[in-house]
Amino acid sequence: MSVAIDTWIIVADDAAVGGLIEFGRLRAAKLVAVVAGRKSVADEVAAAGVDRVIWLGQPPEGTPVEAFAPEVARLVGEGLPRVVLGPDTTAGRALLGAVAVRCGGPVFTRVSALDLEGDRVVLTRSLFSGIAECRESVDGGPAILALPSGGQVSATGTPTPVEQVEARPMTIALVVDRRSDEGVAVDLPSAPVVVGVGRGLKTKADLTLIEELATALGAEVGCSRPLAEGVDWMPKDRYIGISGQHISPRLYMAVGISGQLQHMFGVRDAEVIVAVNSDADAPIFSECDYGLVGDLYRIVPALVAALTAVR
Amino acid sequence: MRVVALYKWAPNPQDAQVDPDGIVDWRRAAEALSEYDPVAFELARSFADLTGAEVIGVTAGGSAASSSLARKTVLSRGIDRLVLVADDRLKTADSTTLAAVLAALIRRLGQVDLVLAGVSSVDVNEGQVSMTLAAHLGWIGLGGVRALEATDQGLRVERDVPGGSETLALAGGAVLTTVADAAVPRRAGMRDILAAAKKPVDLVELDDLDVPVAQVVVSRAATSRPDNARRQHVVVEASEPAAAAAQVISALRQRNVL
Ligand SMILES: Cc1cc2nc3c(=O)[nH]c(=O)nc-3n(C[C@H](O)[C@H](O)[C@H](O)COP(=O)(O)OP(=O)(O)OC[C@H]3O[C@@H](n4cnc5c(N)ncnc54)[C@H](O)[C@@H]3O)c2cc1C
Repeated sequence: MSVAIDTWIIVADDAAVGGLIEFGRLRAAKLVAVVAGRKSVADEVAAAGVDRVIWLGQPPEGTPVEAFAPEVARLVGEGLPRVVLGPDTTAGRALLGAVAVRCGGPVFTRVSALDLEGDRVVLTRSLFSGIAECRESVDGGPAILALPSGGQVSATGTPTPVEQVEARPMTIALVVDRRSDEGVAVDLPSAPVVVGVGRGLKTKADLTLIEELATALGAEVGCSRPLAEGVDWMPKDRYIGISGQHISPRLYMAVGISGQLQHMFGVRDAEVIVAVNSDADAPIFSECDYGLVGDLYRIVPALVAALTAVR
Repeated sequence: MRVVALYKWAPNPQDAQVDPDGIVDWRRAAEALSEYDPVAFELARSFADLTGAEVIGVTAGGSAASSSLARKTVLSRGIDRLVLVADDRLKTADSTTLAAVLAALIRRLGQVDLVLAGVSSVDVNEGQVSMTLAAHLGWIGLGGVRALEATDQGLRVERDVPGGSETLALAGGAVLTTVADAAVPRRAGMRDILAAAKKPVDLVELDDLDVPVAQVVVSRAATSRPDNARRQHVVVEASEPAAAAAQVISALRQRNVL
């Protein structure tokens, strides 16, 4: 085993970076967090087991976090860590993009492992929405990674002091109004059973059919992207896939979903996948454990009946 | 005003073949306008129709990006003219390099007020190029954009953010990526396709652009194909739904997932 390395974590006004800290901890000699955003976020990160917290100061009223991109890039450029981790949200990507320009290297996404071979950083990542994987070594500058930031941080022992630095965000954009979504947020990633519904459903009203199935299974309901960003039948935080939620339930039941790879990327960690689809050639049938070829409007009620029948 | 709409002429990985060593064969995957780009086109067009702005399509891609099919496809969807680099050396370029090429193309245009882009490309699908482009230009990069409007002071942008939405006032250059359902893209009619053939196209040589040399050296050591052999692949024709459903439920119970 080789030497551990300095890792910097970029925080984009959201303290839910538990996944980044965990990923960084695996290899890092020293974990430094650069926090753009509110003081409360910096304080929370400082208590989460990092070695140093650099805070870019209280953002002027209405400043979007992306406005700090040049300053984040400057700090990383001066610190020159071997590894930079940031959230794979659009705000995270805006900050990491600036770091990438400053350091003259790419931002890597969908990275599953970071290893040290001798003095070299070696990444394993998936390509083209998951059809292939590669291992690459990174030299001459930091390896910059956009990762799923992965949930709440937990307080560990004494917080590190928050070091405030002088930073001037861009003044191009100003938030003049902000609205919160109604409705309760769903935690699909930790649901043990999930039913996913897709364009095979004919009308929004037919969602009741899917809800009955979910109730019989004790499942949460998720969907394919077009149902949330297209027809708007489902909330956005319920769509599953490479651009949406990544889930790892015991059981995933996909109903009326074709199984395009962008969707399947989000369910690859499901233990068992069941598919219901009327098209025997749908790609989902080559990626499932059990497949039922037929009309969902006949099969779903039959599944509900089988689940609720007295054994 | 000038608005740049970024796009990519790209193949769908769903149609690619991958050998057991992870080598991707794209020959059966036809290149096309990347799925979410027309959404940005539509937003750019409706904005331009209200403000009198010009909409310039900009891409940096492989040689196929300059085919007459590619040009027509883009120019028939509300784009006024094209500026592009089409060089096969860019097929494997990383996000920072591609963004640098795009930045160089945009700088050549002189005054540009705004860049719009789709959320991510169908092939690489990282959603990174446009955000890195913002940094190359020294602009702000903002994602999740749903709507766009000109005001007396500048621009007003509506966007989705985690847990809600917000309105921003813009007073300078920005690269905006749109959400997938920000607009319903138009279908190109015969008239649009005929008009497309007459619109200007500026094909720029990659070597004529000032693109910074990468500092970070990335060397690919190995590729592989993820394996889905662990799936059972028990697929039944459910002409008798009750029997088929009972069979699957019982299998799930035996495997203790229910
Ligand atoms: C860059 C990019 C990123 C993307 N990211 C995501 C993502 O994160 N998540 C995602 O889901 N998608 C994503 N997509 C979209 C993805 O490519 C597919 O378009 C989408 O997943 C298809 O959704 P679907 O399966 O519901 O619809 P369709 O592909 O239209 O499939 C509907 C299925 O229903 C079946 N069907 C129809 N009627 C019946 C019936 N009566 N009974 C049973 N079956 C029936 C049909 O046979 C068909 O297979 C992305 C695309 C791109 C380009």
